[in-house]
Amino acid sequence: MRAAPVIAAVGATPVKAEHAASSSRDLMAEAVLACLADAGLADLSAVEQGITSYESDHFNLQMTLGAVLHDTIGMIPKPNMRIEGGGATGALALRAAWAQIQSGLCASALVYGVEKNGRGLSSRSANQLFALSADAEWEMMIGGTYTGFYAAMMRAHMAAYGTRETDFAHVAVRNRHNASYNPLAQKPMQITIDDVLGSMPIAEPYKLLDCSLLSDGAACILLATEDWARAHCPRFRQRPPVYFAATGCGSDTMRLGDRYPHISNFRAKREAARQAYAMAGIREPRREIDVAELYDSYSGVEIQAVEDLGFVAEGQGGAAVSAGAFDLSGDLPVNTSGGLMGRGAPVGATGILQAIEIAQQLWGEADPRRQVAGARRGLTDTHAGIASISVVNIFERGD
Amino acid sequence: MTQRVSSQLEIFQQDAAAPDPWAAFRQVERITVELTQRYKYSLGKVSRFFLELERGRFFATTCGGCGKTFAPPRPLCPRCLQPTKWRQLPGTGMVETWSTLHFSPGSNADVRALTPPYVFAYVLLDGADTLFPHLLKAPPAQARRGLPVQVAYSEGAVSHPIHLMYFLPRDPKEEP
Ligand SMILES: [Zn+2]
Repeated sequence: MRAAPVIAAVGATPVKAEHAASSSRDLMAEAVLACLADAGLADLSAVEQGITSYESDHFNLQMTLGAVLHDTIGMIPKPNMRIEGGGATGALALRAAWAQIQSGLCASALVYGVEKNGRGLSSRSANQLFALSADAEWEMMIGGTYTGFYAAMMRAHMAAYGTRETDFAHVAVRNRHNASYNPLAQKPMQITIDDVLGSMPIAEPYKLLDCSLLSDGAACILLATEDWARAHCPRFRQRPPVYFAATGCGSDTMRLGDRYPHISNFRAKREAARQAYAMAGIREPRREIDVAELYDSYSGVEIQAVEDLGFVAEGQGGAAVSAGAFDLSGDLPVNTSGGLMGRGAPVGATGILQAIEIAQQLWGEADPRRQVAGARRGLTDTHAGIASISVVNIFERGD
Repeated sequence: MTQRVSSQLEIFQQDAAAPDPWAAFRQVERITVELTQRYKYSLGKVSRFFLELERGRFFATTCGGCGKTFAPPRPLCPRCLQPTKWRQLPGTGMVETWSTLHFSPGSNADVRALTPPYVFAYVLLDGADTLFPHLLKAPPAQARRGLPVQVAYSEGAVSHPIHLMYFLPRDPKEEP
């Protein structure tokens, strides 16, 4: 196998509840220009391929938005493909670029993603559209919601392992706190466990402050072979190289009930992690990974993730989270960016934003208040639905 | 598809103090776009499930290869990749997990008619190997893991045939 691709440059817009002054293409252009500036490139003429990352034709009110954005940023007539994998879209787009570079199809690929999930639609319309991303023949028509599916999973986790509401409230408090050190974050908050427990019930046991955000935003990563990045990107040569070292992808049934009897955790995530760890040669993930961005669509999901990613044994996530193991002061800080709860989650950009956070951590360029000292290996965990598709990507500092 | 447009002109200020490269583009018009679609949507090979609900009967499917019983039904066993067989179940079972929902997604008229909070339950039906999700029409405080329930059948018209049924708590001493 060839040496892994490197992150040549990154760029992103701030994540907001609403970028009312910008269309999807405006946001995408701004993120791409930021990425070019980061690369030290004047234009995209040297970049060979473009991979577009967006989830929803409905939210963006545009089908084939991939082609529109490719045109907007001046990439024609180069190859373009649009990747869609629900919440995992951005991570899956990076995985596709990884494969194209590893295969020798190209030496450079721009992975760019955007979503306007914020306030373009009423929350009722937004809920109806998000419900279509569940099994639209069954659960959605019954009256289920994603919060409800995740909540039922979490209740199974609580029943099996004694996980407490205060355990997942810890995630809600910490990730929003971490967001206050991220200038791109949508909603930093200084809140307490009691604030979370006392917030409005949405789908029990989840309350309002256990839920992540709907967001507008765009993000972009230039992936390349190390030779290409050295030849073309002045800024790359000034930084320690960060390799996109490994990628894994797992899948699971659409409906939670079809996973019976094991409904407390994410099988797809265990499978994605197994593949990624094998590729990266990782045996003890808790010790061998320094920083991670986890898919905290709901607070309890992070507890399930630290178990399924092998940071702790299944059932021990709640206690480890409450003990502070994954706080900025812990032995494996997670969601230093603020995660989906604090930084926000413009779906097509989310997985890319996670990878940008890991790159900044490995470069040592994060705000000192959230920088993990000496971080050399980082992980992103991103999933679709209730982890019907799960992607784990691993990045390593190479110097 | 209908499309109606109205517009609203707004001036958005840039947040940062730095020079604004887009200064000439800060006058922004926002329009309201409305799309409405009606679909003829085939329920395909699971149609019989819904037709049996109209007759007050609950059907699952069973794979002749591995013996697994699917509720909701699957016409194709994903493990053996062979057609399954229809099989009537008694409609009794137990709650495995649930959530009390305080907001309805408004997916259809039946869902919009629900008064939150309501209980969304995953039920292990007797004879099935998967959990069947549906509304448990009971006070939220009554919901618990292991609660015996049974399928009840709706009277009157529904907007989607999945609402021809729902779950009710069951006295385990009574025959269904
Ligand atoms: Zn079978």
